[in-house]
Order: sequence, then structure tokens, then C-alpha cells
Amino acid sequence: MSGPILSLRGVTKSYAQGNAFDRLLGRDTRFVALDGISLEVARGDIVGIVGESGSGKSTLANIAVGLTKPTSGDVLLDGEPLSVLMRDHAGPWRRRVQMAFQDSSSALNPRKTVSRCLTETLALRGVPREQRETEALAMLELVGLGAELAPRLPHELSGGQRQRIGLARALAMKPDILIADEPVSSLDVSLQAQVINLLSRLTRELGLTLLFISHDLALVRTLCSRIIVMCKGEIVEQGACLDVLDRPSHPYTQLLIAAVPKGIAGRRKPTSAPSRGHAQDSVG
Amino acid sequence: MTRFSHALRGIGWTGWLGGAIVVLMLAAAIFAPLIAPFDPVALSIEDRLLPPDVAHWLGTDQAGRDVLSRVIYGARASLAVGIGAVVIGALIGVSAGLFAAYKGGLGDQLVMRIVDGVASIPLLVWAIAIVGIFGVGPVRVGPLLLPNEVKIVLLVGVLFSPVFARVTYAVASRIVGADYVRARYLQGAGHWEIVAGDILPNCLSPIIVQATLLVAIGIVVEASVSFVGLGVQPPQASWGSMLSDARNAIYSGEWWLPVFPGLAISITVIGFNLLGDAVRDLFDPRSETRTLVA
Amino acid sequence: MSAARRMNGALLSIEGLRVGFRNASGGVIEAVRGVDFAVAAGEAVGVVGESGSGKSLTMLAVMRLLGAPARTTGGRVMFDGQDLLDVDEARMRAIRGRDIAMVFQDPQSSLNPALTIGRQITDVVRAHRRVSAGEARRIAGESLERVGVREAGKRLDAYPHEFSGGMRQRALIAMAIACRPRLLIADEPTTALDVTVQAQIVDLIAELRRDLGIAVLFISHNLQLVAEIVDRVVVMYGGKVVEDGPVEAIELSPRHPYTGLLQACVPSLTAPVGPLVAIEGAPPRLGRMPQGCPFSPRCPRVVARCELEMPALLTEGERRFACWRPL
Repeated sequence: MSGPILSLRGVTKSYAQGNAFDRLLGRDTRFVALDGISLEVARGDIVGIVGESGSGKSTLANIAVGLTKPTSGDVLLDGEPLSVLMRDHAGPWRRRVQMAFQDSSSALNPRKTVSRCLTETLALRGVPREQRETEALAMLELVGLGAELAPRLPHELSGGQRQRIGLARALAMKPDILIADEPVSSLDVSLQAQVINLLSRLTRELGLTLLFISHDLALVRTLCSRIIVMCKGEIVEQGACLDVLDRPSHPYTQLLIAAVPKGIAGRRKPTSAPSRGHAQDSVG
Repeated sequence: MTRFSHALRGIGWTGWLGGAIVVLMLAAAIFAPLIAPFDPVALSIEDRLLPPDVAHWLGTDQAGRDVLSRVIYGARASLAVGIGAVVIGALIGVSAGLFAAYKGGLGDQLVMRIVDGVASIPLLVWAIAIVGIFGVGPVRVGPLLLPNEVKIVLLVGVLFSPVFARVTYAVASRIVGADYVRARYLQGAGHWEIVAGDILPNCLSPIIVQATLLVAIGIVVEASVSFVGLGVQPPQASWGSMLSDARNAIYSGEWWLPVFPGLAISITVIGFNLLGDAVRDLFDPRSETRTLVA
Repeated sequence: MSAARRMNGALLSIEGLRVGFRNASGGVIEAVRGVDFAVAAGEAVGVVGESGSGKSLTMLAVMRLLGAPARTTGGRVMFDGQDLLDVDEARMRAIRGRDIAMVFQDPQSSLNPALTIGRQITDVVRAHRRVSAGEARRIAGESLERVGVREAGKRLDAYPHEFSGGMRQRALIAMAIACRPRLLIADEPTTALDVTVQAQIVDLIAELRRDLGIAVLFISHNLQLVAEIVDRVVVMYGGKVVEDGPVEAIELSPRHPYTGLLQACVPSLTAPVGPLVAIEGAPPRLGRMPQGCPFSPRCPRVVARCELEMPALLTEGERRFACWRPL
């Protein structure tokens, strides 16, 4: 129980680039999405992983839950390699790592009611049939939703409600680790706060270990105890959340901090030259 | 149920018309012996080539058979071939498409290339060629004796399958990557459970739309094969063979002989097409709110 | 908005604009319910609200780009002394792109993948100005350079897929400014972009406005983002303007509770860490608009009157707000 609950050792993921013809001639190059990532997450940690698109943060999430196989390296769940556990697709290890997804519109099956979505999840956890309905309602209550939503279909829910159902579904498996991949980026600012507060409360109440993947530093600051900054498949900076955000040492972290909208405090002086994100973004 | 009835209201009159035509034709096929005023194969030399009148609403043909009765019985052959072929085509095609989309990689490539191969076969030419080779009589396959109609149904079904495979594949390969499928996978749901419970239901509406449209094509194929004398054999009635028999009547002025089976084909085809469009709307879970979305 | 500004010729003045959807049973559901505000020449105005507030519909109505089943059901859109809702389609086409340009949320779907960036910009130029192909290309190159694309001359021959998301948005802005419009409408232009790129694009829009004197209407759900570059903010909720005024006033002393919450719910990098201020509930759904103030079901300051009666938009100096119990 004392070791890290989740650790990555030298995890690399690369994809072949170029067309079949290039590959045939051996001219293909490989796009490296993750480059030798090693990290450890202690039980009960709330870790924010920040970075922009292409930083590899979503690939990292997918590898950590076993949706994507790494090209090399190992993921250890309580010391056991995922590559070994994966041989039993539906094994008891499965429920221990769950994921909350980004896009609230594709996270739920459009043809299944909220109640069906939750009860079938509970069934896979082995909850007896007669208890599933009651427990599904309990899950709804846990994420702050009323029982009246149970018979609804996803399109009858608001974005924030869908996101909560997605969370309830993940939590219905009683996971030890929850990986939330940009769980609020498809929501309006007014609804973001609801979901973030909910996540914060749930991690505390359920003793969850949370990997919170986001591009929003301010959200990470509110929620997380540790932060990992990723850029182009590598970890460029990590540490205690407030330390890193108050005294960023890597230029990329500084750039991210400068990019956070600051309201009138961030107003452009009419004479000031463009100061932020000076680097021209790349082609392609 | 309220959701369903609400959606029903949004179908529109074309959908209802299509549905009515299809139901009417199905009823005609199933209850032909009860509805048909005459025996469709009974010859009556003195009643030859009578124009439509009170006794024979749609007239009689060269052998004095009642055209209305033959059109009603003809619905049996047409719908049996059309629907039968679609059922077989859907079984093969949907399974292939689902398998390829879910499996991905090499299996995907293999299945879809076979589908491409089958799709390159020109349907009508092959239908005619195969029947030409095996003859119009029944064929013995192991312990089974397959009548000519079944042969055509199987053949057309196989040749329909690529359409289903491609439609299913196109939709399913998108759904395979959807977060709700990934979530099911993460819960440890079985592959069969994911494919049958999450992927297939969300592919259904384009498949059903495709199916209704293909029934129409199947009816035309049956008519064509029968027209060239390789389908339903005389004296049994089929719209195609009736048209074939009516070829000479076009010149001699017995207009009712080609017009009524022709109309039956057209109306049925239109009916299935209208129904297809309506079904597409009905199966959209968002159809209630569709008009509100900007 | 000050009376003075309205007098000395607003560039764009939206007056009592209404947009509705025709529903299946033939009724009309109003989504924009009498919006009025104005933009002066060279001014930058931010329109802020959640999805469903009617902000995007308002802009589409201004540009006459509403598609069925949505349509304008009332009001006027005065631009240059003419009512845009009244001019014929040919005239409107000339105004779109030349006098008023628009940049949308998704740069991916706003560009034609089959044509080069240069071709798409020159098409816009030549649709509005009688210039030779060479001259159009020169203008296109200049615009692309103006929006900070390096080696713009060469990049004209690139296809959209060769550009990153941020570069595509720059190309779209280049297209928008190629004819030197007097008003640029930017509808959530950074939502699909990474944070650092978002900052660059916001900087760029501020810079273009300063250098070219283009008035800007910046639509966003993020008040903090908009506040960085606009002079005035219009806050919309439930298809109505609930508050507007100079950006400092809105930020420092919001009067409508919704504005205050909208501001407070965005976490900052400086505030003490703690639970975020959340706006409970969800925005009203179309066709289920509350009878009184649209925000009343979620408002922490609600009183009985709020639920029954829609407060009028009251003017107080340079600002307006619609609330029975303002902050």
C-alpha cells in the first residue's frame, strides 16, 4: 500500500507517418507523441497534467487506462504491469482505473437513458440486479443530480448534466484512480465551476486518486496538489502546484501562464508590442 | 412510448403514404387467396383480352386470366424476393461491416476488400447469368431442394451485402471511437455486448433506410429477371413476367396488360422509398428537437 | 451606452432585434427577445453570454445569415444609415465581406480544403473590388503579412491542411480584413484554439483594431478574455441584454448579479485557492423561458417580483442594466 498507485516507466508512443508507399521504401518517419515519460502518482494525489494539443497529455491518459498500448515502456498499477493485466480484458483490475471524457456530446450513448447507462455499468461491477436501480439513483445524487433525470436520454440533458452523468458512470465502477481528460473544456465558464467543485468534493469524499488533464492552468491551480507540464511529448516541469505556478522555471510554463486571460488587468496598452506567445505557431 | 408517438406525429404525410402503400402491398401478398376475385392461373378462352369492366376490374390477359388477381398474387413474388434478398444482404453485410469496423487492422482490410470484390459484380448481369447456368428449375444443395425463387433471393441477397457492409462500416467505424464505446471498454464490457448493445443500435437508422431502398431495387430485379423469363415461372404470376407477356399488347392496344403490373411496380417502389425517408426521421433520437436546433 | 454615442452616428446600431424559431406545430419560439445596443466607429465591443444566450444568433441576424428554421421576427439593424434587414440581397452581399466581415469559431470548417489560402483571399478581394488578378494577389499577400504570417508571399500557395489551427484562424482574419471592413465580427474566434494561440489571436485582433481603425464585435463566453481588448461589454442572457457598459465599470462594479457571477466563476492565477464560485442550474432552454427575469431561477438575489416581471433595461450614466435588485 505504500508504493505509488500508478507509475509510468519510460513510456514512449510513436506513430508511423507518411503513406504506405513511403513505408515500403523505408522512408517513413515516426511521430513521437510521448517520449520516455516516467512519473509516479501516490494514492490520493490530485495531479494536474497541463499542456496544449500535441503535448501528448491525452495520449498519456489513454495509455494509463489501457486504451492505447505504448510503443515501449511500462505502466504499473499498484506495481503490476498493465501489459500483464490487459491479458484479462474484463479482469477485476479493470474497474480500478476509470476515465471521464472531454466531449459531453459523445460521452454518452445517445440511445440509452441515464438509468440504463448507470445500471449496465453497475451490472459489470457485479451489483445484483435488484440493487442496481437504487444504486443508480444514489450515483445520480452523488454527482448532484435528481432522480427525475433517470428516464432521460442524453440529448434531453444540458452539457453540464451530461458531464456529470459521465462522471457518475466512471464512479459507479468504484475506481481507485479517475482520469479526467479535459472534463470541462466543452462547457461554458459558468458550468465549469460546478463540475470542478464537484470533482474536488468527490476526490475528497471518496479518497480518489485523480489525474486531471487540462489546458487551463487556473483550473488546475484550484483543484490539484501536483502539476505536470507537458510539451511535445515530454515533461518539461513538475512539482507542487502552487510552487510551479508562482515560480515557473521552464519558459513553456511561463508562456502558458502568460496566456491565461486576466480581464482588465491584462488589458493591452495601446503601445505595447505583442508580448505573449511570441513564437510563431508551426505549420502543419 | 410517448416519445415514440411524438416522433410518429412528425413523420409527415409522405411517410404515412409510403407506409400505407407498403402495408397495402404486404396485405395483398399475404392475403392474396382471400382478396383476389379470381384464380390467377385459371384459363378461360372465352374471356380473353377483355378490357377492364365490372367483372374484371383490370381486364383479362391473352389466356383469359384476371389481371387484378394476377397483380395481387404477383405481389407475393415481388415482395418475397425484395424483402428476402434484403434480409439476407443485411445479415451478411451488417455483420461484415461491424466486424471490420470493430476489429480494425488486418481483419478490417481483409473483410472490406472482399466486400469491394463482391460490389464490383454487376447485379443484374450476374442474376441472369447464374439462373442461366443453373436453369430455372430447383437446385439441390445437400439435403435442401432450392426452388428458383430462393436461388434468386440468395443471389440478390449476397450481391446486396456490400451496400450494407459499407453503410454499416462507415457509421460503425466512427462510433467505435466514440467516448461512450471507450467507456464501455474500460468497464470491461464484453466485445459482443459492446458491438450489439452500443455500436449496432447507433448504426441502425442508415441501415434501415438503406434496407427499404434496397427492397425497391430487389423488386425491380425480380421483375427484370422474370421479364426475361428466368424468374417466376408460368403460369405463376409475377409483375415482371406479366410485363413480359404484355410486350405484344403494347402494339395491339391492350393497354391494361402492361400498365397495371407496371403501376404496381412503380407504386411499390415509391412506397418503400417514402417509407425509407420517414423511417430515417423516426429513428433519429433527436427528431423531437430537430426543428429547434440552430 | 451614452446618449451622446448614440447621437453622433453609431456605426452599427441594433434596435429591438428579435429572432425566433418556427417549431413543428407552427408556433414561433423566440430566442433573441428584443436586443438593442450599438457599436461606434473604431470601437471594440464584447458580447458575453453562455451558449443559449442568443449572442451568436444576434450576430447571424445582423449579417442576415440565419438559416431555417430561425428567422428575424422584428427590430432593425442600422448600419451606415440603412436598415440591413431591409436592403436587397445583392446589396447585402456587397456589405458582407467589404463593410462588415466575420470570423467564426471553427477555422477548420470556415476554409475550403480544396483551394489555396491565397485563392480564397483573392476571391474575397475580387468579389468586392475591381482589381487585376496580380493586384488581388498583392493585397492578399499584404493581408496575410498583416496578420503575422511569416513569408506570407510563399504561404499564399499553401492549402489549409498545411496550416495549424492558429495559422488558419490568422488566414481567416486576413481574409476578413483584406477589404478593410469598418466592422469585424469575431464569434468565439479562439474557442477551438490552444491557450497560447488564443492569446496571440486576441492580441492580433487588438492590434488590427488599433492600426486599421476597424470596429470590433467580439463574441465570447469568457468575460475575462473579452475584457482584455474591448472598450465596452454587452452581457446577454436568455435572449436579452441584461447589462452593458464600459469594460472597467462592468469588471469592477457589475450591477447585474449574472455579470458578477460570470466574472467570479472564472478561476484566476492569483486568487486564494478554494471552491470556485459556481452559477447553479443551467441556462433556460428554448421555449421554456421564465416569465420574469430569465436569470431568476439561478439568481442568488432573487425576490418574488423577479419571477413575475421582466425588469426593464435602465440607463445609469454610461451603463445599462435590467435587474430588480441590482448589486
